[in-house]
Amino acid sequence: MTTTRARTKPHSLANADTSLLPRNVVSGEPLPPTEQPGYYPGYSTLSQRAYWDQATRDLVVDRVERIARIRHFSDEQARFWRTVFDHVLPQTDRVPQRRISLVERLDERLFQNRGVGYRYANMPHDREAYRLAEIAINQESQARYTGNFIDLPHLQQEAVLKAVHDGKPEAARPIWKQMSIRRFWQLLMQDAIEAYYAHPWAWDEIGFGGPAYPRAYTRLERGEPEPWEVEEERYEWTAPPYSISDTTESTHHLHTESSQNNFIPDESQ
Amino acid sequence: MRTPLFGSFEAPESGNHAVGLFQRIDSPMRRYRDRDEVDYLIVGCGSAGGVLLQRLSRAGFRVAALEAGPFWDTERDWVSDESGSHKLYWEDLRVTGGADPLALGANNCGKGVGGGSVHWAAFTPRFHPSDFEVYTRDGVGADWPFGYETLRPYYEQLELEMPVAGPAWFPWGHPHGYTYGPHPMGGVGNALIKGCTALGIPVSIGGPVAILSGSRADRPHCIYRGYCIQGCKVGAKASTLVTHVPDAIANGAEVREYAMASRIEVGKDGRVTGVHYFDRDGASWFQRAKAVIVAGYSIETPRLLLNSACTGHENGLANSSDTVGRYLMAQAGNVILGRFDQLVRMYKAPPAHALTEEFYETDPHNDFARGFAIQTVGPLPIAFGKQMVSAKRAWGWGLRREMMDYNHWATFGLLGEILPWPDNRVTLADDRDQFDLRVANVSFSLHDNDKKLIKAAKEKTMEVMHAAGATEVVQEARYAHLVGAARMGSDPRTSVVDKFGRTHDVANLFVCDGSILPTQGSANPGLTIQALAARTADYLVAQGDAIFNAGTRDMSEPRLRGDLAPPGTYGRGVPRIK
Repeated sequence: MTTTRARTKPHSLANADTSLLPRNVVSGEPLPPTEQPGYYPGYSTLSQRAYWDQATRDLVVDRVERIARIRHFSDEQARFWRTVFDHVLPQTDRVPQRRISLVERLDERLFQNRGVGYRYANMPHDREAYRLAEIAINQESQARYTGNFIDLPHLQQEAVLKAVHDGKPEAARPIWKQMSIRRFWQLLMQDAIEAYYAHPWAWDEIGFGGPAYPRAYTRLERGEPEPWEVEEERYEWTAPPYSISDTTESTHHLHTESSQNNFIPDESQ
Repeated sequence: MRTPLFGSFEAPESGNHAVGLFQRIDSPMRRYRDRDEVDYLIVGCGSAGGVLLQRLSRAGFRVAALEAGPFWDTERDWVSDESGSHKLYWEDLRVTGGADPLALGANNCGKGVGGGSVHWAAFTPRFHPSDFEVYTRDGVGADWPFGYETLRPYYEQLELEMPVAGPAWFPWGHPHGYTYGPHPMGGVGNALIKGCTALGIPVSIGGPVAILSGSRADRPHCIYRGYCIQGCKVGAKASTLVTHVPDAIANGAEVREYAMASRIEVGKDGRVTGVHYFDRDGASWFQRAKAVIVAGYSIETPRLLLNSACTGHENGLANSSDTVGRYLMAQAGNVILGRFDQLVRMYKAPPAHALTEEFYETDPHNDFARGFAIQTVGPLPIAFGKQMVSAKRAWGWGLRREMMDYNHWATFGLLGEILPWPDNRVTLADDRDQFDLRVANVSFSLHDNDKKLIKAAKEKTMEVMHAAGATEVVQEARYAHLVGAARMGSDPRTSVVDKFGRTHDVANLFVCDGSILPTQGSANPGLTIQALAARTADYLVAQGDAIFNAGTRDMSEPRLRGDLAPPGTYGRGVPRIK
């Protein structure tokens, strides 16, 4: 930990579109974007990198400093998926220079044709899945709001994606017939999470300790911080007014993987 | 930026091969030529393959292992990073289907020397005596061709070789104690103890887990950094890469990395003559051998046997019973997540550090046979995020919010026994891999007993989490581990291999890995796989000439060859007093 633990400076709200910003739960005022949202102000995993082993340090620093060039997607496709990621993993609470690149990581995986070791029998290969999903999401946008996804207002875009999230599309039936909508949603979320939560800025946000070899963790109990970690400082916030993604729903009644993730109607009650 | 006293930590300069922080492989490795005929050729250098290679080389056999992945240098190749560890997992294509398709890859399949033992959490409970006679006791599943007492000396021996840390008294199954002391508790273990204790459930604290609680020889103790399933750079967690392969190399064994077996060759006399494989450039080679042991685990082993179909073995090699690929099992691995008002920071400590097997056995009050265990798990942020997508359908701001609370959550994994069913199987898909080999098609469906068991296990585990003080409890349904798909048995009509792993159909072809298990209990299979490998090795050592030259099958039990164990690991305790 560096000695300065000052809260990261809030970004100016002048000229900003505040409809996409989280709010202070008491005052209802928009929270200015910061360099580091979350409950661990001043915490920096990267500040500890001299204590990491060399292979880990090289990899993580490279992840921060090198943004992969788009090679698989066309410019238009990249813009499409960037917009999708803006909804499924929004970052408007971060100042622009501290937002984490998501679509670049997906593009790199697809360019290298790198899978995760299996393909569901009711799913095409990943490249094809993303190609088909773009068509299906645009058809959904047309059916609901008579426009392409990218041209819709923010809240309508979010409603289209929520239909995919819920597994209740109104359009593109032929596509969702050859590709499980649930498995696609799972794939999309996994790619978003693999990119965002692999980044040390995200570790700082959630208070994750990060690499600890060869130094070790020494305070294992009661959630106590290591000397280089910081205490939690919570604040209450609500999602931006132009968002419908801040709801969750426990699925603990679905005790088999297929009923929970692949939506088997007769077991969903 | 603050730096350590003597500057940033740099990788050791030694040109030697690092396996762990201090251990080095500095002896040159033997390299057999194509025209050489080795005695035993092992396909797959993982949990079983590593133990076999070590035993057979120490006994003086000419032995080589074909490994599809790399021979890791842990300092250079491994990282303390979730996203950067994908290369440890078998991520080549497979197709997964059925009513309840299994996730593969990082979930259960390793690639590279050490195999799955590189990325296991290293829980090492023994199977219970009841696991060896499930059919006799419960009328479901199958019996093993031998009982617990046959495997017991090998359990005791492998617990010293890994070695296993755990409590002095482990009360379930056949009660026993551990030579190495238990680990300190992390936040998740404390939650499990609290929840179990509130409900009157006994709990095993600090193990059994194959992670060093104190340094031993050139392996340092655990540093509680929590990246067990990303590969232990420390060398504290047991993998055959650090426990057995170095001794094998020192005794003249060869590990051939990036060697992807494609087909086992059968000679005119019906005996196997060697294995065809591809190197990393896609060139095809053939290694001759007097006997072949397939140790590729529950997907790649049946795939190789099926891809080796030939005249006389049209349905796949050693498949006259039509059992190759069948009776594939995974364990129910539902993760129960509990949110606590106070901080937990579950990324600290090994994911595996406490468990209870109180519900392991068949209970006549239940509407299902067999049972389950409850264990600690410790997902790192990416894994936790995916769990929140399944368990709470989180996305967008909801996901960001849940993740900001990462440090408030603790997680238990249930481990539930799923029975062996003939329709849960590995076949060949039409898809092909980078070597133009047909990939595995895995079909998996739960049956009635399995579903009832999972439901009951999930509800009990949620009850424990509530009792621990969690204010919110949710659940992610998933599976853990793989076994079966080339099962052993006494009857050649219903099993692939005999009780020593020798295929019923071919006298000099063996299978030795998790695929030979007839049932799986609700214990993590790693220890049992290695114990079986040590026993098969004793048989291969004792029977060498007969296996190489004759078609006869001696079914007498071999004696445990303690002298073939890695140095300093045989005896009443380690460190051992003579």
